[in-house]
Amino acid sequence: MRIDEVWDLLVGTFYTTGIWAMSWKYPVMWAIAFFFLYLAIVKKFEPLLLLPIGFGIFLVNFPLVPLMGYTEEGVPHLIQFFYHYGLEWEIIPCVIFLGLGAMTDFGPLIANPKTLLIGAGAQLGVFVTFTGTVLAGFTLKEAASVGIIGGADGPTTIYLTQHLAPQLLGPNALAAYSYMAMVPLIQPPIMRLLTTREERLIRMKQLRPVSKRERILFPLIGAGIIAILVPAVMPLMGMFMLGNLMRESGVVSRLSDTAQNALTNIVTIFLGVSVGATMHAEKFLSWKPLLIFGLGLVDFAVCTAGGILTVKVMNLFLKEKINPLIGSAGVSAVPMSARVSQMMGQRYDKKNYLLMHAMGPNLAGVIGTAAAAGMFIAMFS
Amino acid sequence: MPGGEVTISTTDKVQVRYALSHEQVLEFYKSHFKASRDIKFRDWKAETYIEDQGALPWQSVRISKGQETVTVTITRDSWTWILGTLTLRFIGVFVVLLFLYVGMSVSGAIMSRLLAKAD
Repeated sequence: MRIDEVWDLLVGTFYTTGIWAMSWKYPVMWAIAFFFLYLAIVKKFEPLLLLPIGFGIFLVNFPLVPLMGYTEEGVPHLIQFFYHYGLEWEIIPCVIFLGLGAMTDFGPLIANPKTLLIGAGAQLGVFVTFTGTVLAGFTLKEAASVGIIGGADGPTTIYLTQHLAPQLLGPNALAAYSYMAMVPLIQPPIMRLLTTREERLIRMKQLRPVSKRERILFPLIGAGIIAILVPAVMPLMGMFMLGNLMRESGVVSRLSDTAQNALTNIVTIFLGVSVGATMHAEKFLSWKPLLIFGLGLVDFAVCTAGGILTVKVMNLFLKEKINPLIGSAGVSAVPMSARVSQMMGQRYDKKNYLLMHAMGPNLAGVIGTAAAAGMFIAMFS
Repeated sequence: MPGGEVTISTTDKVQVRYALSHEQVLEFYKSHFKASRDIKFRDWKAETYIEDQGALPWQSVRISKGQETVTVTITRDSWTWILGTLTLRFIGVFVVLLFLYVGMSVSGAIMSRLLAKAD
């Protein structure tokens, strides 16, 4: 073998590595990936999602890795395959909703259905942020997908973003899950600001027991009403109510168990890694993701305020007052925001147990966010 | 669309009259926006409504349904539409949950009565 042949071989081998195609953008993305892995592993913030998302970001931000594109023959790479069938086809968010429905006990909401209105009031931020996002230069569809972050419902955010502005899927999902994990930091100052000491001390009557028949009837009534009023969101809510019916009927415990555990766990892996993999340096390093994180925070704050203010308005008309601290649970983030209400209530009165009361608006928030998403889909169809 | 007689021109709105049929004007706009994903055409009784859901400098184009002359109204301001639709949709979320509230309250009351009778 001649020396120039050896040289050609070496150069050819070099060009099959990623070294020659490196750019400064990749280390920046690695730092972002490590930040989310740190939040997941060390701080334990939403680890089930932030870990696969963080690793997904890390994996795709190397030159030449065949993960998130197509081969020369047009065959999708591994994660592109997950992304295509799971997210582009909008299957994964709906399957996650099936699992969430199977995990959810609607008892507190059925026992006190007026808390549904708190879930509606807590969508205020979604609509306020839409306006701010348009002012910041986003298109209307992008603004809707950013606005829904404040609803604090990851699958709904992903579903709506994939529907309206798939180019923002990575930053939107990341902002939604990051802020959901930071609910205990974001909400308490707003709750203190908007409530008086007397309001925080309000004790609520113990919830009535809910019969099994009512529990079985709820997913049927819920699905029926939502299907009539906001049909656009039925892929999500239909699955949610199916999961809940499987749980409450008690006759398909194997299916309910699979939906709650194995199925949800499997799709969570594919969801996380696919969302992370959408955040390639070329797409992510721009002003839009930064703005999304800023607007998402405002969104969360206004949604929290919207829930609290709704309770205050309701209290003007109610004989039995509602503790406004449970208003903040009107953003979804189940059950984290309900726990924050309980924690805040106990800070001022050790014997005030707000957790079950807060679960009502918390679950109403899930339905409210889905309804808001349905409104946006209808707006653009 | 080139040509036509400008009848109104303000900062928010431009209105132009064309001596063409509705189909001819509509055909021009359809071919012009063929590649755009954010443009929606809505066929109404008295006019065709073209809506921008992207980031174009105008919000809507209305083409009246005339046989010989057609009026095209281009509206620049989208804020009236945005604020109007957002308010309506926020109220819409309340309406959805209010219906659910009524449905749950009614079914809850019926169930309680049935259970009381059974006892």
